[in-house]
Amino acid sequence: METIINELEIASPSVVRQATRDFAAALSETPQFKDYEELSIQLRGDTTAQKAIQAYQEKQRSLQTLLMLQAVPSQEQAELERLRQDFLAQPGVKAFLKAQEELIVLCQTASDLLGQHIGLSFTAVCGSGCC
Amino acid sequence: MNTNITKIPPGFLAATKALAETLLHSEPMLAYHQAKTHLKRDAEASTFLERLSTAQNEFRARQSNGLVTQADIDHLRVLQSEVQANKIIMLFVETEQAAIAYLPEVNKEISHLLGFDFAGMAGPSSC
Repeated sequence: METIINELEIASPSVVRQATRDFAAALSETPQFKDYEELSIQLRGDTTAQKAIQAYQEKQRSLQTLLMLQAVPSQEQAELERLRQDFLAQPGVKAFLKAQEELIVLCQTASDLLGQHIGLSFTAVCGSGCC
Repeated sequence: MNTNITKIPPGFLAATKALAETLLHSEPMLAYHQAKTHLKRDAEASTFLERLSTAQNEFRARQSNGLVTQADIDHLRVLQSEVQANKIIMLFVETEQAAIAYLPEVNKEISHLLGFDFAGMAGPSSC
């Protein structure tokens, strides 16, 4: 589809900056963003969930080299999986991941809309690592 | 149509559309779309690009079969030179690169305001 633009109307950098600020402000007012922020704070203060996350991460770290070599003994692999399931089962973690997923869907939808409109994929152009 | 649009709160949908419209009218994006339109309308430039694309595909096919000759290389170089000498094509390439360089700056500003990488969060769904 060819993008039709009125070429006489050039948006100055300050106009773009304002639209960017409005966009960020509107996103931060969405229920998805607010839930994500709130649950992120709650998760940081949830000591049971933090212990479960820490236990998994410590185990993962201790097996880092073996994991890279795909040479983790089955017993250790089972223990790592048990710890992973344990932290994923924490209500605080579950709620946070659900909120994060909803925020991701919202950001993807907005990014797709931007991309369709401007004729360049926003996420592809700004791919991870560019910012 | 993206069914997820219905899940966007109206205020955010309006701000997204406004940002899209504003970005479209920013100088780098305007230059890019203008150059793209000129390129599409220029028969000679389109022919150069088609010929180069066909030659590149044929070259790759011959390369995978180990059949590349010096004449194939020379032919490809001639076509590449023709493309590089075409002002309309080169303007399109330059403006596209400028537009591609501009959008991460916009994302940087959004991300700074939000406290997370917006494009990173949005992921590669549209690539």
